[in-house]
Amino acid sequence: MKDKLNKIEEAALQSASVAASEAELQQVRARYLGRKGEITAVMKGMGQLSPEERPLAGALANQVKDRLEAAFAERQESLRQELMQQKLANECLDVTLPGRRRRRGYKHPITQVTEEIIEIFAALGFGVAEGPEIERDFYNFEALNIPKDHPARDMQDTFYVSEDVVLRTHTSPVQIRTMLKQKPPVRVVAPGTVYRRDSDITHSPMFHQIEGFLVDRQVTFGDLKGILTTFVTEFFGKNVDVRFRPSFFPFTEPSAEVDIQCVICGGTGCRVCGQSGWLEILGSGMIDPEVFKSVDYDPELYTGFAFGLGIERIAMLKYGVNDLRLFFENDLRFLKQF
Amino acid sequence: MKVTLNWLKDYVDFDLTADDLSHRLTMVGLEVDAMERLGEGLDSVIVARLADVQQHPDADRLTICKVETGSVTQQVVCGAQNHKTGDLVALAQVGTVLPGNFKIKKSKIRGQESCGMLCSVSELGLADESDGILILPPGLPLGQPVFKALGLKDVMYEIGLTPNRSDCLSIVGVAREISAMVGATLQLPEPVITESDSLVTQKTSVTIEDADLCPRYAARLIENVKIGPSPEWLARRLESVGMRSINNVVDITNFVMMELGQPLHAFDFNLLREHRIQVRRAHDGDQFTTLDGQIRTLMESDLVICDGVGPVALAGIMGGGNSEISPETTDILLESAYFKPSTIRRTGKRLGLHTESSHRFERGTDVDMVPLALDRAAALIAVLADGAIARGVIDVYPEVLTRRLVTITASRTSQVLGLEVDADDIRNKLNSIDLKCKLLIDRRDGAISVEIPNFRPDLEREIDLIEEVARLIGYDHIPVTMPASTLTCQQLPGHLSLERQVRECMVHAGYAEVINYSFFNPECLDKIRLSAEDLRRQNVQILNPLTEEQGSMRTTLVPSLLENAVRNQAYRSEDLALFELRPVFQPEDGAELPRESLRLTAVLCGRREPQGWAQSAEKADFFDMKGVVEQLLTQLRISNVSWQAEHDESFYHPGKSCAVYQGARLLGTLGELHPEVLHDFDLGQSAILCDLDVEALIELSCATVKFQPLSRFPDVQRDSAFLVDADVPAQRALAVLGQVKINDLESIELFDVYCGEGVPAGKKSLAIRACYRAMDRTLTDELIQNLHGKLIKAMEKELGAELR
Repeated sequence: MKDKLNKIEEAALQSASVAASEAELQQVRARYLGRKGEITAVMKGMGQLSPEERPLAGALANQVKDRLEAAFAERQESLRQELMQQKLANECLDVTLPGRRRRRGYKHPITQVTEEIIEIFAALGFGVAEGPEIERDFYNFEALNIPKDHPARDMQDTFYVSEDVVLRTHTSPVQIRTMLKQKPPVRVVAPGTVYRRDSDITHSPMFHQIEGFLVDRQVTFGDLKGILTTFVTEFFGKNVDVRFRPSFFPFTEPSAEVDIQCVICGGTGCRVCGQSGWLEILGSGMIDPEVFKSVDYDPELYTGFAFGLGIERIAMLKYGVNDLRLFFENDLRFLKQF
Repeated sequence: MKVTLNWLKDYVDFDLTADDLSHRLTMVGLEVDAMERLGEGLDSVIVARLADVQQHPDADRLTICKVETGSVTQQVVCGAQNHKTGDLVALAQVGTVLPGNFKIKKSKIRGQESCGMLCSVSELGLADESDGILILPPGLPLGQPVFKALGLKDVMYEIGLTPNRSDCLSIVGVAREISAMVGATLQLPEPVITESDSLVTQKTSVTIEDADLCPRYAARLIENVKIGPSPEWLARRLESVGMRSINNVVDITNFVMMELGQPLHAFDFNLLREHRIQVRRAHDGDQFTTLDGQIRTLMESDLVICDGVGPVALAGIMGGGNSEISPETTDILLESAYFKPSTIRRTGKRLGLHTESSHRFERGTDVDMVPLALDRAAALIAVLADGAIARGVIDVYPEVLTRRLVTITASRTSQVLGLEVDADDIRNKLNSIDLKCKLLIDRRDGAISVEIPNFRPDLEREIDLIEEVARLIGYDHIPVTMPASTLTCQQLPGHLSLERQVRECMVHAGYAEVINYSFFNPECLDKIRLSAEDLRRQNVQILNPLTEEQGSMRTTLVPSLLENAVRNQAYRSEDLALFELRPVFQPEDGAELPRESLRLTAVLCGRREPQGWAQSAEKADFFDMKGVVEQLLTQLRISNVSWQAEHDESFYHPGKSCAVYQGARLLGTLGELHPEVLHDFDLGQSAILCDLDVEALIELSCATVKFQPLSRFPDVQRDSAFLVDADVPAQRALAVLGQVKINDLESIELFDVYCGEGVPAGKKSLAIRACYRAMDRTLTDELIQNLHGKLIKAMEKELGAELR
């Protein structure tokens, strides 16, 4: 009896180990543990044994049965694993193929730079103001201390719409409009489109500026240096040197041109900075008392500073763009780079 | 304004390197735009003597020269005609690199060996053009570098002068700034005049009729001059600051103008009719031929210098051909005058005439420089042109221009600059540029009265002097501070933040932003088929445009955006999604300024998705653009819009376009482009456009957001397909469904539109999905059946729909 069970067990284990699929394994199981299986047959034949032998044989048969069940389960699990491995192996992707993409949009680099500059000044407490692009001579020139016949009008060759209406040549008229509307303290930046009658590789008849000004009691030239130095370090980085040097604008006095250390050559001199190591990036100055008079601010009570910078120039320096015209050609190959 | 290191050193003693000087000038407000080292790297160009000059045996125009350099004799082939045996010349030895990166090599020219080159003035970079080779003055040591031998080693600075600094339109003016920075004294030239017995007052006279335009006019007569070439030093000096040498007398007037900033004019005295000068306004319509041969028509506002009969010079701008110095000239009337800047400016501008002379007069010259400049030039003419200066000076100066007095206080200066300065600091700084200062003792605030010399017409007010003080202290020395300004809340104005949202929304939708010029040529409106009455045909015209294409201000963004699409297609960027968010300009009756209103225009063409192995290659269509517009409206919280197939824009395909309204307010239009527009723009594929009024969007945008509570109960969905007449717009069906009042109806969505097999002709099937959900309970089947029935009934009743 015992021998017989052992033999059956051995044969069953052998069959299970060679079963190549779950279905085959089921057949093996049926052959040994099924209703008509060999172990079942042995157990059925136990009636013929003596009452003393019966419990022993019964226990033995049950042990064999349990072992086989466990072995079949183990085999089944390993077959399942094998099958899954096989399936996974067949399901391999070429992960190096490009992903499925949506079309990307792009903000124009001029917009990006404008927003970045506004954010820096917003953090310094500056609001944002706007004004019309087609402007009265009064706001664009007269109120800014640039009377007719003044040589300074040559600095800004102007497009005229009528004798008294021009395409604004700078964003400074927004200064006037804002100050006429609002009493000090004023702390505002004014981004916008401006126009000058000039077109070549370094001049575009339309370009963008951002103007900023601050008027309050006891604003000093030192404060102008403080605000603009902060702006430059925020925008171009802490390691970029700044210098202020005397210049002339009809609507500021003292006036200062602000240069930064050339970001292309680091100050050693190159073609971009004309070998000087410095790049001119903005014009600034203390607002001229004449301007205060034209907006009815008391120049004895208030002082202030103003500054203006060209967005295209800043964008060219930031991104290393070497041709101004690219900003207005709207070539997607250009726009997609920003 | 060009100056050179050597020339400056004639008037001020200083010891700065070329680079230092450049930096210091820039930092004091005289920005050095360019710097050029004359003769740098040209030490191998040496003085040599022509020991022998022979005709080249095989070339008519070439000579073979034996050249002595002191140590050796070399053979050089030369193509010039102006040299002879015995001349001293400039020999560029083999290995020299001349300006323009021209390297001298040993070579054979028509079979004859040539070791080096004999240089002309222009080849040495000393002038723009020249005839023949440079013949050096005799006596120079052989073998010495030419630049050294001639004293031409120099540095030229080109200063970008700001318009207020007319005082620095002269070497002396720049030297004054240097004297202030190094603490040295400025030394003006002191001409020595030797006069003849001939009395100027007996020979000529000057009368000023319009002293308001010409406050001062001085003249000297110089007789028996010999017009000829200038000496080498004079020619070189003018050339070093970019002027051409003409003849000795003209060169001297130019030299003195560059030196002192006072323009001078030399008349051929014998060509002055009646031998006298009158200064007066021109007569309207007078014709006058200037030195450049142009006939000028004058006006009464122009100031002219006349002889006894008529104009001989356009005052301060240009002389006349009728009294010009020529080789035959023997007697000269030399003019030194002060003209009112605005007169010169107005005339120069009107006639389009700008000269070195007018450039200075219109910015303001120094009336006190008139006599010195006159004497300086006269003395030079006496020496260099062998002239005899007649006895006496004519100096008509009816009303002496007084010097302005301006008061500056230490307190105000400190307050503006944010740097503590006292009266002494101010006085020292202003004294250093020759402003005379007097402390006002009776005032205790450190006030100083400053006498402004006439060479600084720009200094009129206290603030002007504060700027001078700041400049001379150096902006570098003013401390960096932060304003102690009152804090106020500065939010981005509402419309700007909405404008940003619109832009972001377009970028998220995959559109690239473009910026076009605001100009256009209104003819492009024909290409987008605008009718003759269209309001956008009226535009703001520019009086002085650069080109016809930029003659007016845009009234629509559509044409330029289509041009962008065409341009990109040419570069094979065929799948395009572009937008522009910029103002358009519309003239308004009765308003001085036009209306500027912001528009959003977008164009889409090519594939819906970017190209790729797993991407759909389907072409974008109307509904792609409509989706973007819907998304934008959702973003701005603009609801209750209607889409109407009827609209006025003729650049769209009439069947594939619409207008968007909220109530009666038109928000914009969108649609496929009309095939004719595609054709006229040469767009090779269909394009879909939208053109929205951003002002309207901003006005209608609803800022407030109100939270809706969420239901915890499950939803139930019911789908139904309706057969309706094919011409019933979806919007109508949805409106019918929307009007049925059902509390627990959460949403209705149109998920399919079908016509074709199984749907009778003239009909279409609209499939909707209704979603029901209650806040407080699970809905029963029975109830939903009931609710959904209401929708079906409404469709049947209102649209004669049949359930499929």
